[in-house]
Amino acid sequence: MLFESRKQLTLLLLPALLILGALTLYPILSVLVNAFGSVDYASKHYLFVGLDNFRELLDDFFFIAAVKNTFMFTVVASCAQVLLGLWLAVLFHRQFPGRRFALPVIIYPMMLSTLVCSSIWRSWYHYDFGLLNTVLTWLGLPAQEWLFNPDLALYSIALVDTWQWTPMAFLIILAGLQSIPKDISEAAMVDGARPLRAFMHITLPLIQKQVMLAFLLRSIDTFKLFDKVYVMTGGGPGNATETLSMFVYKYGFRFFNLGMASASALVMLLISMAMTLLYARKVMKGGKQ
Amino acid sequence: MRRYLHGLTVWMMVGLFVLPVVWMVATAFKSPGEILNAGARLWPEQLSLSAFERLLAGEFPLLIGNTLMIALMATGLSLLVSFFSAYALVRYRFPAKLDRAFLLAVLVIKMMPPIVVATPLYSLINQLGLLNTKLGLVLCYQVYTLPFCIWMLLGFIRDIPLEIEEAAAMDGAHLFKRLGFVVFPLCAPGLVATAIFSIILGWNEFLFSLLFIHTPDKFTIPLYLANFMTEDGTAWGELMAAGLVSSLPMLALAGYMQRFLLRGFSLGLK
Repeated sequence: MLFESRKQLTLLLLPALLILGALTLYPILSVLVNAFGSVDYASKHYLFVGLDNFRELLDDFFFIAAVKNTFMFTVVASCAQVLLGLWLAVLFHRQFPGRRFALPVIIYPMMLSTLVCSSIWRSWYHYDFGLLNTVLTWLGLPAQEWLFNPDLALYSIALVDTWQWTPMAFLIILAGLQSIPKDISEAAMVDGARPLRAFMHITLPLIQKQVMLAFLLRSIDTFKLFDKVYVMTGGGPGNATETLSMFVYKYGFRFFNLGMASASALVMLLISMAMTLLYARKVMKGGKQ
Repeated sequence: MRRYLHGLTVWMMVGLFVLPVVWMVATAFKSPGEILNAGARLWPEQLSLSAFERLLAGEFPLLIGNTLMIALMATGLSLLVSFFSAYALVRYRFPAKLDRAFLLAVLVIKMMPPIVVATPLYSLINQLGLLNTKLGLVLCYQVYTLPFCIWMLLGFIRDIPLEIEEAAAMDGAHLFKRLGFVVFPLCAPGLVATAIFSIILGWNEFLFSLLFIHTPDKFTIPLYLANFMTEDGTAWGELMAAGLVSSLPMLALAGYMQRFLLRGFSLGLK
């Protein structure tokens, strides 16, 4: 009886619906419309062109490069973060001296803003004065053009992202480990299973869900890659670090080609939606209380 | 022996993850000469405040105020709006499972790359005459903060026992009275945690401020850092001082926020 009134329900939801409608639904719909049209920037005249923009995208060398780079970055960075996070979670699952102090400290990177992270690492990557090359030279290894070598630049950025976000994968997986009932892990020990075998056959299947969720969340996030590229390489050298977000940005705000910008934005939205739905299927199970 | 090895490995990893942060702090306190000449020397020979002094003499303090104001306003708006909608989503019966559809749509918005809506949002803000204004950014930030707040508050409101509200209703408290005097106080800790995360979202936001703010005196902190980096390649002292000052609130809150981090960063995961 208490929560049946449609009028109250509408009233409660209305502000959110208005804001989301104006600031997200309307923009998404206009991206949808513009993706199938050609818009003259000066006169705002709209011409329906069907799939022309998408055909042009597929022929566009930069778009293909952006897709490849984004895919590589997403896979490499997410995998690195989940694997490293898994390892750290296993390490932290066992008691060690000072664990209480180590936990808040290791999540520092994810508390910093992306821009602060980028500025630290941009300094570290500096060819002449950067810390990394100083260490390499000291070890007798050749100095690297971290951000200016086309074969290396994307991975240098992936390293920054991995440093910043491994703590998140770590936290998710650690929560999974801590939810395993004690008797199960003890039973494995008593059985005399080797630690690695016990981990692969008993522990890992039990935290499979958390590992998958961490991977999905990190993929959804790494797929957006923009800030780090914008301030560290600007998409270069050449187009070695051009990502889909950079592509949309350049077509929308530098070349003022609304059709192409919207078509590529739509592609991004669909990919992101697919990943989000996978995530939601895992998380939204179970109804209301 | 193996126990020591384990402890040593973990602390080495912790050290590796914290090293860049330590380097930022150390560099902020180095004198300009020492930064480039000292090679791999981590800690400054002499603590120097010159980077901070130069920073404070510029527009940085003003921009801190700007950014904080925008983040606070965006959070205030989102928190108010999401409080009502999260409450409705938790308590009310929706026709045709519309609540799940709504939540899913909100999740999709939260997860999508913000660049997707950047061009239409630009023309919208432009038509409203809000380009290069704080209010414009406050509105744009709703794209991030509102979906976040809705999802985050769901869990906190779910934790409030229904019986308390039913008792209040028996005593004759109508909807808004219950919201104000029962639900709001009971989920105050959740509201605070949500607000902190949302403020951080606004404080760190880069893309929309890059696109919608054009004059340096209106920059947000991330935009200021970006500009600094691309204009002056090796003024690391000031850059790190600026980074340090802008990160202090977050680093200080790290311990407190730890128990909310999972909820905050993963949406829907507990």
